[in-house]
Formats: sequence, C-alpha cells, structure tokens
Amino acid sequence: MSDKTYAAPRTLSRRSFLQSTAAAGAALALPGAALAQAEGQLLIWLPGGSDLFCKIHTSLLDGFSAATNLGPATTVCGLGQDTEFTQALIGSITAGSPPDISMLWDSPVSLGAQGAFMPLDDMMKGSKIPLDTWPAGLLSSCQFKGVTYGLPVTAGVYAMWYNEEMFEAKGIPSDRASFPKTWVEMRKLSKEFTVWDGDDLKSAGFMPNRIPETMAIWSALNGGVLFDEVNLKYMLNSEQNIEMMSFFLEWLDEEYKGDINLIDRSGNFREGYPDGATGVGPAFREGRQAGLMSGSWLMGDIYADPVPTFTRWNQAPNPIGPSGTAHVSGTWPNWFVIPVGSKNPQAAFDYLSYLAVEGSVSWYQQIPDVPTNSQVAVKPPESLIASRGEAFAQDLTTFLAEQAAIVTPMWNSPVQSFGNDQMARAMEKIFTHAQPVAEALAEAQAAAQAELDRVLAG
Amino acid sequence: MDPVSPMGGAVKPPPRLPRRRRAGRAEARAGLLFALPWMVGLAVFTIIPLVLTFYISQTKFQITGAPRYIGLQNYAAIWGDAAVWRSAGNTMMFAVISVPIKLALALVLALMLNRVTALSGFYRTVFYLPFLMPAVAGSLVFILLLNPSAGPVNLMLQGMGLNPPDWLRDPAAALWTLILLSLWPLGVETLVFLGGLQNIPKDVSEAADLDSPRPWHKLVWVTIPLLTPMILFNLIIGIIYSFQVFTQALVIGGTTGRPAEATLMYMVVLYRTAFRYFNMGQAAAMAVVLFVVVLVMTLLIFRTARSWVYYEGDSR
Repeated sequence: MSDKTYAAPRTLSRRSFLQSTAAAGAALALPGAALAQAEGQLLIWLPGGSDLFCKIHTSLLDGFSAATNLGPATTVCGLGQDTEFTQALIGSITAGSPPDISMLWDSPVSLGAQGAFMPLDDMMKGSKIPLDTWPAGLLSSCQFKGVTYGLPVTAGVYAMWYNEEMFEAKGIPSDRASFPKTWVEMRKLSKEFTVWDGDDLKSAGFMPNRIPETMAIWSALNGGVLFDEVNLKYMLNSEQNIEMMSFFLEWLDEEYKGDINLIDRSGNFREGYPDGATGVGPAFREGRQAGLMSGSWLMGDIYADPVPTFTRWNQAPNPIGPSGTAHVSGTWPNWFVIPVGSKNPQAAFDYLSYLAVEGSVSWYQQIPDVPTNSQVAVKPPESLIASRGEAFAQDLTTFLAEQAAIVTPMWNSPVQSFGNDQMARAMEKIFTHAQPVAEALAEAQAAAQAELDRVLAG
Repeated sequence: MDPVSPMGGAVKPPPRLPRRRRAGRAEARAGLLFALPWMVGLAVFTIIPLVLTFYISQTKFQITGAPRYIGLQNYAAIWGDAAVWRSAGNTMMFAVISVPIKLALALVLALMLNRVTALSGFYRTVFYLPFLMPAVAGSLVFILLLNPSAGPVNLMLQGMGLNPPDWLRDPAAALWTLILLSLWPLGVETLVFLGGLQNIPKDVSEAADLDSPRPWHKLVWVTIPLLTPMILFNLIIGIIYSFQVFTQALVIGGTTGRPAEATLMYMVVLYRTAFRYFNMGQAAAMAVVLFVVVLVMTLLIFRTARSWVYYEGDSR
C-alpha cells in the first residue's frame, strides 16, 4: 500500500467566493477613495513637457500652497499632448472630478464656449490681474463673445530667427535693423543661401510657411485674418489670403523646384526641432538654413541636442506681406483654465494670479516662455546670459516683450482645430499643386464656416 | 382517483423530491450569481454603450453639456461630408487589397511552417512576435525604415539601381505603404491556418498523395477545401480589422491623413470628429454606420459561406 497521502482537493464554496469578490472590490475601491482630491488641496494637470518643466511647476505650486496654508498640492505632469490630453481632461470634467487647474496647449475657446471651463471675468475684477493687464491680442485667444475662459500666463512669441554667422559668411549685415522688412526682400535674400545639388537641397535661405498654426500670423502680416472674431466669420479665402498663398507657391516654384517633397527629402527645413517621427535634425541648427519663423521657446533648447553648428543667432520682427502695413507677431501661449467642477475655484484663481505675475518670472528664468501680464518685469534667462552674454540677453528680452505687445489675435475660433485642419488640407493641396490656390482656400473656407455655424447654432 | 395496491390499500404518490428541487433552485441561483459579473459587464460595457451610441447619434452633443435631440441631422451631415467619403473610399480600398493579400500570405506561411519539423515552435513564435509589438511602435519603426533619404529600405533599393518611392509623402504611394504595414503582423492568421492544416486527417492526406503526385492538386482539391472554415474565420476577422484600421493610419498620417488625405481612414475621421472637433453626435452616427456596414458584410459572407465552406462530416 502506498504511503502517499492524498489531501482532499480544496474547494471554494460559493459563499467564500462571493466574500472574496466583495473583499477584492473593496480593496480596489479604497485606494481610489484615498486618492480622491480633498477640498482645499490644489490639483493641477500639465500636458507633456520636459522633466524640468514639471519640476518648475511642481515647485511653484508647492511653494504657493505652503505660503497660503492650502495644504499639500498635487501636480500631475506629462499627461500627453494634443488630443490625448484633451480626452483625459474632458473625461475628468464630464465625470465630475476635474483638476482645479489645467494647463492647455490648445486654445481654451472651443471647450470654453461649450461650458467646460469656468468664466474668469468676475474673479478678475478687483484681483491682481484684471483684464487690462493683458495684451488684448493675447487675451482674445481665451475669449468668446466677451467671456474669458482662461489666461495666457506665458507664451512663446513668434519672430524670425536667423543664423548671424551664415549672413556674415556671405557678407550680409547680420544686425536686426538690416533684416528684411518685407516678404519680397526676404524672398530675394533667401536665394543667396539656397544651394541645390541635383534634387538634394544642400542649404536654404527662408521657406514659405507650411505650419498651419502660424498661418494666422502670416495672414495678419499681409493685412488679412483667418477668422473674424467680431463677426464670427472665417476669412480663409479672402483676397489677402489668396495673395499670401499665391506668393508662397510662386516662391516654392521659383526657388525650390516647385516640389515640397524634394525639400523634405533633403532634410528638416520646417522647424527648429528634430522631426518628431523620423528624428531628422533641424536644418537650421545644422547650419543649412539661414532663418525661419519660430517661437521663443527655442531659446531654451537651441544649444541642446542636436547642438548647433554655430553660436550666434538672433531674432528680428516678422516681415510684412505685399498687402500688409505693419509688423505683427503671434504667440503660442501656455493657457491655464479652471475646469467646471473644480473643488477649489477661488484658490485656483489665486494661484493663477500668483503664477501670472510672480511665478512666471521664475518660470522664464528656467524655460524662456515669455510672461505676458503687463505687470511682470522680466529679467533675461540665466541660460541665455551664460551662452550669449548679458547685453544680448537683455536686448532679446526687450525685443520679445515688444513683440508680445503686437501679437495678432489668433487661437480665437470656437472651432479652432477644425479650422486649422482645413487650412492644413488646403496648404497641402496648394503646395503639391493638387488644387489651385483660390479653389483650395474656398473649399477650406466653406467647410470651416459650415462647422462654425453648426456649433454656434446651439 | 388514488391508485390502489394489489393488497387493496391506497398507494402513496411518489415522493415529490422537494429537497432536490430546492437544490436545483439553489444551483440556478448560484449559476446566476456566478454569471452575474459577466452579464453586468456585457450590459455596462457593450449593450448600454451600443444603445447610447445610437441615441447620441441623434443628438447634438459637444461632450460637455446635455445632448439635444436633432433627429437624423448627423446622418445627413455624414452624407454631405467630403472627408467621410474620402476616408470610406480609402478604407474600402485598404480592405479590398489588404485582406486577400494577408490571407494568401498567411496561408503560404502556414504551409511552409507545416512542413518544418525542426525548430517548429521557434518559427511559430518568431512569426507571432510582430503581433505582440504595439502598433504605435511598429509604425514608428516602419517610418524610420521607409525614410526616403536615410531609411535602409530606400538605400538598399538605390543600391540596386532602382528609383525608390517616397513611401510616406507621395500621395500615390502612401496608402500602399499603409497596406504594406498591415501585412506585417501575420501571426494570428498563420497560426489559425496552421491549426487547420494539422487537423487534416492523415488518411485523407495520404489518399490525396496516392491519387496525384502533383502537390498543387492536393493543395487545390484537398487542403484548401478542408481549410475553408479557417479561411472564413480569417476573412471575417480581417474585414472587421481592416474597417477599423486606426493606429497605423494616425501615426503615419495624423488626423488629416497626410499626404493629401491618402491615409485618411474612416476611424481616424471618427476619432477626430469626436475628440478633436468635439462633435460627439456626428461621431456616434459614424460609429453606427460603421457597425451596420460591418454587420451587413459579415452577414453576407456568412450567407455565401454555405456555398464554399466545407465542414468535415457535411454531406455536401
């Protein structure tokens, strides 16, 4: 007989199964309850950004909470960008558990107009940051029908960046005052730098704009607008905009063989950063592009990887188009909103007041996003002083403040993303010669206006 | 009248087994309780969202605020939306081309794997691995491989004296690139076919070998007919997948379907309508339309399947 003993198989009774299920459910629910935000403690959400970006905001909020006895605050960083972040935010608002404050990298107008964010006008009255302390063009990016749904606390300011060393190598004056004042002058200068080797673009001067988000600036430089916020009308196929796109297309044909794909195959001539998908380095930093329109945030990154092949760069006012009359600038702000359902709206607003004035100074020191409230006296960023010296840093800071004061209204449509997409579609068709300029813009105009009318219909 | 026993006494009716019945009821209750989580899950995560989607599709709903009933206006808007038609055309083209190619390649791969005796487990794992890679990562790898100037694919083609296409920027090539990408993870289809091949009875296979020495005769007249249930399964899954192609299209073409809407797929338009334009009503209507189209196609395939799918043991 075997001396093996067999234990009776352990069975799970229905009762114990149900008990363990309930226990597991409770175990899952408890941490959720523990994590729930307590009243009085500020919770802020940030979209993507570097570790430094997160560190700055965590430190600012913690400092504010400690100084005002609000208790421990929470900064949630890197929740994704673009649509990904918006989804998370909308989800939290509809679920009734939004953060007290959220930073946005897309205009708050669309969601604000639909009731997702708290109107700030009443809180602004009598506060440290009343309406008249903000540049009108910037604040309009947060307003719809006279209601303010967010604050553009800091902003990247768009200007023309250029490589002084490339200019000097060609014997061209590199001071700001000598930079081309008009598109025609810029196009003429551009040819000096553009070199083709067969179908390979070795180096380039300037490029016709292909970034839909900045098209509002180019339109304003030519005396036009993309969206008329007063009359709630899209103006994509206005005379000025048709002229603008025709100018760009002629430029492309004349200097760049009429083939946008040849340019892209030769390198990244679109922006000052490596291509997000392919990692191809920016031609500007490689010393292969004389200049481009870019946001001021590039100041914080230009000496990082990929390290530029030159040291001296500068910025100049955006040139004026054939039908334009004045230099204008544009911005891509860091917007802050207080979502509907915030548990601490007044404390959240107090923090925004602090961030807009005192906090933005410290922010600018570390990452050069330009403070926009008129009460802020900014000092040049330490990193810029270290790399280019006190005088240059001070001069550039003053220049950016001047540019921030002449920003054109943009980001102000309640169907901003839809309008941008239509413009992007039209630009692509125009630059690939798939559709004539007027036709492509008319198509974009019809679609954007129809969507706007649908949304405004209530 | 009560039954009477031979002895003249009344016979007791058979016991009504109340205990067993009680036990049966308890079993039923327990069964219901055990099934309840699944039923609740089905209701909460499938049936209610389905009904809600149908309801939302008839409202103007901008995510925040309450939906407002507008009848069939969202369906009319879809009808008149050029982007929807363009994306539907692209998606249909994608499905029509990619599904048959994918099935054919998976079948060839399965036939080859079926002949492998050494390291068969290793090969099966290798061919299944791509399926495990996240679609975003896979798409990014392909973007790098197909880079027109520095990508290894074009460098290799140039080295062979060919003029390689601009895979992702040329509107004429971009959709084909997307189709190419969809062919990469063939693991599931291949394993299904392999399972089918290994279930073909040996006697049938040997009889076929005796009847004809030509391998393609066996393939056409024995192997493929016996694989038709697997072909049907892979076809339906393939069609459903291809109508829902999203991640690769979004990574490559963004929400605008670059270049020139060549990679604009139906699901991308649906996604951007919902989460970029916040037009949940129209997005829900698009989802309903997709649901109906896929359902009708699946039913049609099932209907035709009676004439071409052979199940072992069928009289046909």
